[in-house]
Amino acid sequence: MKFGNLLIAGITTGSIYAMFAVCVAVWYRVSNILNLAVGDFAMVGALGVDNLYRVRGLPLPAAVIATLAVVAVFAYAYDQVVLRIAQDGPRRMEGIVVTFFFTFALSFFIDGVAKMLFGTDVHAAPALWNGASLTLGSLNFERAGILVLACAVIIGGAFWLYIRFTLGGKALEASGENSIGARIVGIDTRQYRRVIFVATAVIAAVFGIVESPITGYTYLSGATISLTGFIAAAYGGFRKPGRALLAGLFIGVLEAMLGGYVSAEYGDTVMYAILAALILAWPRGLGFESAVSG
Amino acid sequence: MTQPSSGGAALSVARLSVAYGNVVAVHDATFTVAEGDACAITGPNGNGKSSILMGVTGMVRRLGEVTIFGAPAKNGDVRWAARHGLTLVPERRQLYPDLSAGDNIILGCYTWTRSIGKARRSEPYGRAVELFPELKPHLNQAAGTLSGGQQQMVAIARGLAANPKILAVDEPCLGLAEAVAKRVYDVLTQIHAAGTTLIVVEEAPRRALTLCNRRVEVRNGMAVNSRGDGGAA
Repeated sequence: MKFGNLLIAGITTGSIYAMFAVCVAVWYRVSNILNLAVGDFAMVGALGVDNLYRVRGLPLPAAVIATLAVVAVFAYAYDQVVLRIAQDGPRRMEGIVVTFFFTFALSFFIDGVAKMLFGTDVHAAPALWNGASLTLGSLNFERAGILVLACAVIIGGAFWLYIRFTLGGKALEASGENSIGARIVGIDTRQYRRVIFVATAVIAAVFGIVESPITGYTYLSGATISLTGFIAAAYGGFRKPGRALLAGLFIGVLEAMLGGYVSAEYGDTVMYAILAALILAWPRGLGFESAVSG
Repeated sequence: MTQPSSGGAALSVARLSVAYGNVVAVHDATFTVAEGDACAITGPNGNGKSSILMGVTGMVRRLGEVTIFGAPAKNGDVRWAARHGLTLVPERRQLYPDLSAGDNIILGCYTWTRSIGKARRSEPYGRAVELFPELKPHLNQAAGTLSGGQQQMVAIARGLAANPKILAVDEPCLGLAEAVAKRVYDVLTQIHAAGTTLIVVEEAPRRALTLCNRRVEVRNGMAVNSRGDGGAA
């Protein structure tokens, strides 16, 4: 059952891409900034827990909590210092500098610090759920993969409930759709920018911790994950979280299938060729035109 | 048609100036609106009528004093103004096009609550929805797909859901057919009759004065005339 196992693997990584794509899309809607550092927070989660647990000998729960706390505090501080000066000051910056540059720089900054703290080897957080993989007929379910999916369902579900059933969630959507209209009813879009940025960083770190036993991370692993999440978000024009979610799952499955059936080595090359071809063939349907024209 | 002024000052504006960069849109505007008034702000397009409302409600920063029911208003703080009873129904409506009409309206309650249950059960939300029976079949429809008139009604309903004591409506009939414009004015008349102080920015003074008992005329960014003319044009 090669196909079934590839599908399971694809959905597992796809669910991470999907979550990151949703985070990127939702944050873009409220801040007009693309978060290119989302994968780096995942890397910090994985390597941070590994470092605190294996090297410094902290108990595992303490290592996890400490890592997530550091990520949250760092993200908050970044918003308060850099993004506040860029967006909230009297000389508000607009355009490509704000859209790309600050989080791009942040990504390199995090990578540099991670290289100093964690070195350049491949590491992974310890498995949170130990044991051999579970089997159902000829299908294999890795325990870490099940945890990843469970996290995706719980976090994604909680976010959906928040958007659908709370006034705060509707206010979040409103500030994504019309920032002037949002201010009129007293919605503080800056607060949403801050809260979602911190939440995204913590969610990414959680996925890094849970997923790293499957693939292993180095200080450079973040960029690839960010790129894939970014592309999945682009398929919804950076504005449609639902589409970004589907695109993330699709890319995960496509990646697994190409790796399994075409070439383990050149799977990614073929995948990006296919993704590019899809965009060229169907730009409007995939939301690329709205991504360009805003 | 119009009610006489019944109370003290609901809104007083002194030496209000609003500038966008180097362009001065409002210069030294001074006027008062008494509680229970329906006040028209009239004047040709591009003369700063909307900017007066933007400055007064805190959507843009301003110079000068704004007092809402005796309390000095915080500069640039829409939320403060809304909590103290002044709500803006902006020009071009500024709805959330992909959200349903009902969600657009209920977000007006965000000025005073974070609880969606409380908002749904509240008197201001109920009253806002009641006032527009024609919106009932469309409450679950995306606001962006409604007609211009329906969108204007959603915008007014959202303003009412904020439970305002003063409702400031900017160009409510812009781009609407005459029959729809009349319906909008009927509703504004009802809102005023129910005791809400109204400020209406209107390019066409004739229409505004069917409703309003006071008029502030704006020329070149200055409020040049302020009179209570009892609704006569």
